[in-house]
Amino acid sequence: MPASNMADETKAEIQQAGAVDLLIGISGSVSVPELRQQIPVLLDGLQKHAEAARLVVAYPGSAEAEGVRTDADASMPRFMPYSLSASDPASLPWVIWSAAAKAICSLAVDLNAKACVVLHGDVGMLSAERLQLLTQPILEKQCDLALPVYPSRKFDGLLNHSILAPLSRALYGQRVRYPLAQDIGCSARMLQKLSESHSSRERNEGALLWPVTYAAISSYQVCQANVDVHHATQTEGLELSAVLTSLAGSAFAEMETYAPHWQRIRNSQPTVTSGNSAQQINDGDPVDAKPLVDSFVLGSRNLQEVWGLVLPPVTLLELKKLARCTPESFHMPDELWVRIVYDFALAYRLRTINRGHLMGALTPLYLGWVASYVKEVAARSPLAAEQRFEQLARAYEEGKPYLVSRWRWPDRFNP
Amino acid sequence: MWQQVEESLRESMGRVFTKIASLLPGILAFVLVLVLFLIIAWLAAMLVRWVLTAAKFDERTSSGASTLSEWAPVHTPTILVARIVFWSFVMIGILVGISAFEAASAESGISAYVFAYVPRVIGAAVLLFFGTVIGRFLSRSVLISAVNLNLQYARLLATGVRWLVFVLTAAMVLDHLAIGGAIVDLAFGILFGGIVLALALAVGLGSRDLVSRSLEREAHRPVEAPVEEKLHHF
Repeated sequence: MPASNMADETKAEIQQAGAVDLLIGISGSVSVPELRQQIPVLLDGLQKHAEAARLVVAYPGSAEAEGVRTDADASMPRFMPYSLSASDPASLPWVIWSAAAKAICSLAVDLNAKACVVLHGDVGMLSAERLQLLTQPILEKQCDLALPVYPSRKFDGLLNHSILAPLSRALYGQRVRYPLAQDIGCSARMLQKLSESHSSRERNEGALLWPVTYAAISSYQVCQANVDVHHATQTEGLELSAVLTSLAGSAFAEMETYAPHWQRIRNSQPTVTSGNSAQQINDGDPVDAKPLVDSFVLGSRNLQEVWGLVLPPVTLLELKKLARCTPESFHMPDELWVRIVYDFALAYRLRTINRGHLMGALTPLYLGWVASYVKEVAARSPLAAEQRFEQLARAYEEGKPYLVSRWRWPDRFNP
Repeated sequence: MWQQVEESLRESMGRVFTKIASLLPGILAFVLVLVLFLIIAWLAAMLVRWVLTAAKFDERTSSGASTLSEWAPVHTPTILVARIVFWSFVMIGILVGISAFEAASAESGISAYVFAYVPRVIGAAVLLFFGTVIGRFLSRSVLISAVNLNLQYARLLATGVRWLVFVLTAAMVLDHLAIGGAIVDLAFGILFGGIVLALALAVGLGSRDLVSRSLEREAHRPVEAPVEEKLHHF
């Protein structure tokens, strides 16, 4: 966010702010009086890193609207409003988060902040320990990007575990569990990077912020911290195909932009993770895979023509065989799923068909993978489910030469 | 008698050969002009392609949210523009060829008739092109959306939408070309009206009970407590 786009009160605040050690940005809409009550609790864990007077708390909105006092109080940090570019309430939650994170990073750059933490808007979930887990690697261990590892549940974040995280790991070589986490910590140079990437993509409203990608291509250090919080994302009323279009589509668009970088990366590196592993949460009753298998079979019956434009003949044949399986014997191998994702990424780049149609055609295939996964982990523990995700991530890495060949020679290499 | 018939046949054969001979220079002029314009069209298309590639036209046009390639994704915008240029030159070549044919032969009034009809043909071609593209696009949109909504009759729905757009396009094209006159309007009206009437009858008579039961069920449905989804995709 260039200074010219800021609210007047924010500009005035920046001039007064002086040196800033840490900027804490709240990414969602928040009640400022409630936030002010929570802040002293948060400060307990930050005493040795930053004085309260050199702390800034940024929130979306305007000072007047929230009735924030601007009087100087040395024991309290400064409160600064920032404006959101994606203020449309119909925007998807992660689009709003990305816009907020971009605005916070730009504000932090304008304030010359040494570090910045972007936190989810759920004020009730804020705790000193969690904040410390995200700031400590930045301020003490020269880490550039700190990402959280949320407690894992078997049937949560499936899109993240099946596409976003393993794809990011295979492409950019960083083993990160949540590449689109809603809480992040950034160093000053990482902020600069995110701010620059933001200005170059301002035109595209739906573009998401992928901090891991920027960190990986700049060879910055990435850390993870186990946090014991679970943010509920409001996805009610959202169509799965719209969610896939937004999230996987954005990941595919990033692939197109950074193709020269990820084609050079061979293997992934483990990411340093701090904090105690959070307790595994059991999801209770098993999930019925039959409706998911039915969705896949319906897709297979009707979308052969569309899939035929995207997928090579061998994959189509395997999908046809899979569609003939009974729900009990249904199993989509990881290698097949990985090739499907890579082929769709290639079709996204080549614009083989309209991109909205492309992501819509991916939805039944994704449900097929979910059905297969649900059946596999039904009787297993959350830890075993995590191992299953690790196995899938390795399949993504092993399938990368296939992607590179298809990407470089889409016409010649078509098995 | 036979001599007179023979004489008459010889005369008419002679007139036919004379006519063909008088048309030959015109046909030759037409072919020559067409070949010349084909070469020019090919050169112009190559030039346009080269210039647009150098100007990174594809990248510029694909940066927007809604782009040309979203509608005709198989061909890049550069190829599309180059093809438009090529076929424009071919069209001009045909028109010039017809003028050359008229000038080189004794026939008069051909070019005036053809030139008057050309705008209609161009309009019809444009209608046909957009009708086909829109029909295919809508059909695919309906198919994918219906599959993702788990509708069993997704393909039927998509085929219906495609043919509806195609029939509408065909009627518009024929009307634009002034072919068929009122018959096309009438046939199209009957066809569309028939489809709507058939659907109305099917719902009104065949599925009357089903519709009323469904409406009653909706009206008396108790407020259900939301069921927690066990699967979370994000």
